[in-house]
Amino acid sequence: MEAFLFWSCGALMVLGGVMMVLQRSAVVAALWLVFAFIAASGVFAVLHAPFLAIMQVLVYAGAIMVLFLFVIMMLQGPVMEGERKRMALPLWPAAAIPPLAVLVLVGAWVSQRTPEPLRTALPDGFGGPRDVAAALLGRYLLAFELISVVLLVAIVGALALGHGERKAS
Amino acid sequence: MTVTLNHCLGLAAVIFVTGMAGFIVRRNAIVMLMCIELMLSAVNIVFAAFARQHADAGGHVFVLMNFAVAAAEAAIGLAILVEIYRRRRTVDVDELKTLME
Repeated sequence: MEAFLFWSCGALMVLGGVMMVLQRSAVVAALWLVFAFIAASGVFAVLHAPFLAIMQVLVYAGAIMVLFLFVIMMLQGPVMEGERKRMALPLWPAAAIPPLAVLVLVGAWVSQRTPEPLRTALPDGFGGPRDVAAALLGRYLLAFELISVVLLVAIVGALALGHGERKAS
Repeated sequence: MTVTLNHCLGLAAVIFVTGMAGFIVRRNAIVMLMCIELMLSAVNIVFAAFARQHADAGGHVFVLMNFAVAAAEAAIGLAILVEIYRRRRTVDVDELKTLME
């Protein structure tokens, strides 16, 4: 059962990613990415991370992708559907080298690891909100504070970029 | 067939490479940002898999940190793109080569 869920969610996530890359319209690509993120939340659920599964839908599929969709629709409007440009054809072999290199290197590393089945004996409530909160506000308090600083800097940066031109004129 | 840690790593690698190929091939800067999000998501799967393997919630904390980084990257990246669009009327990276010429 676990294997079935893992592979079906994983396959759906790969499908979403591949379709995102192949889609010409940016809006449709964004919707396929939402699909991939929802499948990723399924993968998190299989990996005993229920809190992450919920956060994946809330933060990624909800907040971040809505931001993307708003910007796509705001910027390109009618131009959006006509967007067909991709990399020039002679460059494709060169473009294939870095991804293939990563795939070969990771594949070589993974294939020489001894396969160990995922651990099934987990503490009660592993990956639940209580468990993650205990780690987040205990051992990893510094990381938690860093998250706040990163988000604060992002807010200030986005506001400064968004208002730059108006102030200058 | 039971799921092993290697399967998780392989799945994450395939997703990461998909995002990487998209980042290289696509010319629309917004879609390139979305490909970066896909790559970050692949890394999150590795974190979650190792967290489960070691029965340690530390991996989950770092996935949450990755969420924050992804959100910050999207906010700043899109703000920069909006600014570029205001000035140049395009988000096609082939057109944005002033620095190269």
